Amino acid sequence: MSTITTTVAPTKLWGGGKSPFNVEYGKLMMWYFLMSDAFTFGAFLIAYGTTRFASNGWPNPNEVFRSFPFAPEGVHAPLVFVSVMTFILIISSVTMVLAVHAGKKMDKQAVVKNLILTIIGGIAFLSCQAWEWNHLHNEGAWWGANPFLNADGSQSLNHFTNFFFTITGFHGFHVLSGVVINIVMLIMTLTDKFEQRGHYLMIEKAGLYWHFVDLVWVFVFTCFYLI
Amino acid sequence: MSNEVVLDSHGSASIAHEVHHGHDAHHEHHETFISKYVFSMDHKMIAKQFLITGMFWAVMGGLMSVLFRLQLGYPDATFPWLEDILGKWAKGGHISAEAYYALVTTHGTVLVFFVLTAGLSGTFANFLIPLQVGARDMASPFMNMLSFWFFFIAGLVMLSSIFVETGPFSGGWTAYPPLSALGSASPGSKTGMDLWIVSMALFVVSSLLGGLNYIATVLNMRTKGMSMTRLPLTIWALFFTAVLGVLSFPVLFSGFILLIFDRNFGTSFYLSDIFVNGVGALPNEGGSAILYQHLFWFLGHPEVYIILLPAMGMVSEILSTNARKPIFGYMAMIGSMFAIAILAFLVWAHHMFVTGLNPFLGSIFVLLTLLIAVPSAIKVFNWLTTLWRGNIRFTPAMMFAIGFVSLFISGGLTGIWLGNSALDIHLHDTYFVIAHFHIVMGVASMFGMFAGIYHWFPKMYGRYLNNTLGYVHFWITITGAYLIFWPMHYEGLAGMPRRYYDYSIWESFKQFSDLNRFISTVAMIVFATQLLFLANFFYSIFKGRKLMVKNPWDSTTLEWTTPIKPGHGNWPGEIPEVYRWAYDYGKDGRDFISQTTPVGADESVH
Amino acid sequence: MAHSADALHHDDSATVKEIWKVTGILSLLTIVELILGFWMMGISSTGMIMTIKGSIVILMIAKAFYIVAYFMHLKHEVKNLIMTIVVPLALFIWFIIAFLYEGNSYKDLKNRYDPYKKQQTEIKVQKNEEVKESKKSAE
Repeated sequence: MSTITTTVAPTKLWGGGKSPFNVEYGKLMMWYFLMSDAFTFGAFLIAYGTTRFASNGWPNPNEVFRSFPFAPEGVHAPLVFVSVMTFILIISSVTMVLAVHAGKKMDKQAVVKNLILTIIGGIAFLSCQAWEWNHLHNEGAWWGANPFLNADGSQSLNHFTNFFFTITGFHGFHVLSGVVINIVMLIMTLTDKFEQRGHYLMIEKAGLYWHFVDLVWVFVFTCFYLI
Repeated sequence: MSNEVVLDSHGSASIAHEVHHGHDAHHEHHETFISKYVFSMDHKMIAKQFLITGMFWAVMGGLMSVLFRLQLGYPDATFPWLEDILGKWAKGGHISAEAYYALVTTHGTVLVFFVLTAGLSGTFANFLIPLQVGARDMASPFMNMLSFWFFFIAGLVMLSSIFVETGPFSGGWTAYPPLSALGSASPGSKTGMDLWIVSMALFVVSSLLGGLNYIATVLNMRTKGMSMTRLPLTIWALFFTAVLGVLSFPVLFSGFILLIFDRNFGTSFYLSDIFVNGVGALPNEGGSAILYQHLFWFLGHPEVYIILLPAMGMVSEILSTNARKPIFGYMAMIGSMFAIAILAFLVWAHHMFVTGLNPFLGSIFVLLTLLIAVPSAIKVFNWLTTLWRGNIRFTPAMMFAIGFVSLFISGGLTGIWLGNSALDIHLHDTYFVIAHFHIVMGVASMFGMFAGIYHWFPKMYGRYLNNTLGYVHFWITITGAYLIFWPMHYEGLAGMPRRYYDYSIWESFKQFSDLNRFISTVAMIVFATQLLFLANFFYSIFKGRKLMVKNPWDSTTLEWTTPIKPGHGNWPGEIPEVYRWAYDYGKDGRDFISQTTPVGADESVH
Repeated sequence: MAHSADALHHDDSATVKEIWKVTGILSLLTIVELILGFWMMGISSTGMIMTIKGSIVILMIAKAFYIVAYFMHLKHEVKNLIMTIVVPLALFIWFIIAFLYEGNSYKDLKNRYDPYKKQQTEIKVQKNEEVKESKKSAE
C-alpha cells in the first residue's frame, strides 16, 4: 500500500481534476483561515513581547494571578487556577477529537456525547475566565488601569493589564465563537443533517477551529502566566 | 499513515464530485434580477461588480487628487465653484488645510485598498481564476459573494465619513498614531477616524474571504491535466497575491484593534509623552508609535505586492499572447514571483528608516530590500526577451502592457535609491518618494489593470472596446504619467517635502511654483482622459462592436474555449481537459495551440 | 467507500489509543511547565530564570506541535499540505526577531536620552500587601 502512494501520488496529485491534498475545499479554507488567524494572534503576542522588551520593568505574574475561587482571603496560590483552565481546555480538545473521530465512523451517538462534553468544557473555560476577569477588575485592574507593581517593586505602566485584557479577551472571543459553532454542529447532528449528507466533514472543520483555540491558549498561557 | 492517504483520496474525491454536481444542478434554477445582478454568486458577475465599484472609487480618488493638485498648483487662486461643492471645507473658493489633508488621506486609502486591491485583484482573481484553471465557479460562491458585499459596505462606510461634521480622517493613509489615536489631535481624528477604521476592518474581512477562496480554487479546482506548471502566469500571480493578503492583513487587523483600544479605552499601546494643545499633557505613558508602524508596514509592504503582482501576471499573459511568442522563462517567472512573495514579508521596516528605528536593524532591512531587485530584474528581462523579435500586435491591451514594463523599470530603479537607509536620510518624506511609489505601484498597476480590462473586455461583455479611444487613452495617460511624476523626482532631490499644504510661503520651495502648476495641469488632463476611458467602457458594454468568434486574440488559455457569453458554470458541456502549458505560441510553424489540444505525435518538446 | 470503512475500523482502536497517548503527553508537558514555573519563583539568579523561561518556551512549542500534529491531524495529511502550512510559519522567525530587537533598542534609546524617565522607573513603591495593610491599619 505504502509503495503505491509514494510512487504514484506526487504526479497524479497535482495533475488537476482533483485536490492535490486529498481534502475538500472547505477543510483547506479552514486550514488557511487558521493560518491567517495565527498571524492575528502572532501579531498580538509579538506586540506584547515588543512592548515588554521596551519596558524597564514588568509585573511578576505570580503576584498577579494568585487567587482561586472560594479560597479564603490571604491564601496565595499562583498558577493553580490557570492550570485548571488549561486542563479544561486540553480535555475539551480531547473530547473534540473523539467527536471528530466518531464522525468519521458515522457514529451519531458518540458524536453527540462528545460534542456536548466539548461544549461544557468551553463554557467552563469561559466561566473561569469571567471569574478571573471579574476578580482582577475588583482588584483595580482594567484597560488603562494597572494596580500591580513591577517585579522589582517600582511603579508599573499600564501595558501589563492592557495587553492581558486585550489578548485574553480576543482569545475568549474565539472560545465563545467556538462554543457557538459547536452548538450549531450539535443541532445539525441531532437533526440528522450529517446523516443525510453521508459524512461528518463539518464536524472536522469545527474541530480544527476548536483545536486552534486550544493551541492559542498554549501560547497565551505561557506568555502571560509563566514567563 | 499511507493507508489513510489512499483511503482519503477515494473518499474526498467522490465528495468533491458530489459537491460539483450539486452546483451544476443549482445553475439550472431560474434567475431573478436580484440573484443575477445584485446578490449574484456567479464569479463573472461578482468580478464585474468589483470592477465597477472599483471604477467608482477610482473616480472618487482621482477627483480628490485633482482637488488637492489645484491647491498645490494654484495656492493663491480662488475657485468659487469649490465652495459650492465642498461648502465650509473650501471657504471663499480656497481649500482649507484640514480639507487638503483629508483629501490626501482619503485619496491614498481609497486608491491603495479599494481600487488597486479590491478593484484589481478582486476583479481579475474572480474573473480569471475559474475561467483559466477550468472550474465552474469559485470553491465557495457564497463566500465570494460575501467578499464583495463586505467590500461594498466598507466603501459605504468610507463614503459616509466624507459627510460627517468633523470631516474624514486626515492623518495620512498610514494612520499613524498619535494623529489616529487621539480624537483631540485634529478634526479628522474624531468620527472620521472611527469610520475609517470600521471601513478598513470590513475591508480586511472582505479580502480574507476573497483570498481564502482564491487559494482554495487554484489548488483544488483545476481541471484535469491542469497541473500547477501548466497554469497561466496570471493565475500564479493571483495565487501569490491571495497568499500575501491572507497572511498579512490579519497583522494589520491586530494593529487596528490595539489602535481602537488606544482611541476608546484608555490604553497606551502606541502613546507616550504627549501634550495636546488646549488639552494638556496626557496620562498615556510608555507606548511606542513605532510599534504601530511595524504592525502597519508588516501588512503595508506585502500590500504593495498585492497591488503589483496581479498586474505583473496579466502583463505576462498579454505580452506573450500579443507578441505571438511563448513567455520567456516561465519557471523563472514563477520563481521570481515566489521570491517576491517571501521577500515582501521580510522588508517592511524600510518604510521606517528615519522613524527612530534601530540603525543596525535598519541595515539588515536594507540588505533584504535590495534583494528584491533580483527577482524584479529577472521579471523585467523576461518581459523584454518575450518581446524580442516577437510578431507584435499593438492592441490597446498590448500598449498598456508594454507601458507597464516601462513604468515598472523607471519606478523600480528609484526604489534601489530609497532602499538605502543612508540615502533615505535625505530622500525620506520628499516628493522623490511620491514619484517612486506612484510610478512603480500606482500608475504601473493601473496600467496592468487597463491592460487586463482591454484584453478581457470581450470575454466579460461579448463586445470590444473602441480601439481608437483606447490608443488615445494610452498615449495621453503614459505621457501624462511621466510628465506628472518625473519632475517630482527633481523636486524631491531638491528637498521638497511631501504633505505640505502650501509651498509658496517657503523661500526654498518657491522656485517650484511653475513646475507645480505644470504638474497640476497635466494631472487634470490625465484625469479627464480616464473619464474618456470610462465613457468608452460603458458605451461599449451596450453598443460596442460585437464579438463574432470565441477566441478574438488567438489565445491558448481556457477562458477562450467558453461560449462568447458563458452562463453560470462557464462551459455548457464537460469542462475541457488540458494537455499542455499556456504558452504554445509559434510552435512548429503553428501560430498558437490551445491548451485543450492534445499533444501531437510529431510535436517538438518545448 | 466500502473498503475505506473497513480500514477505518481496522484503524479505530489505534487512533483512539493515539488520542489518549497524546493527551497524556500534553498533560505531562503542562505539568513540567508548571513545575518549572513554581521552581522559578524561588530563584533570584537572572541567568537561571532566563534558562528556565527558555525551556518553558521550548515545551510550549512541543505542546503546539502535538496539538497540531495529532489533534488537528496534520501529521496524517499529505506531505504537501503539511508544507503549505508549516513553511509560511517560518515567516514568524524574522517577524519575532525584528520586533523584539526593536523593542529592546527602543528601551535602550529611551533610557539613554531620557535619564529622568529612567530614574522614575527605578523608584521603589510600597508593595501591594503593604499598601493594603497600611490601609487596614488606617481604618
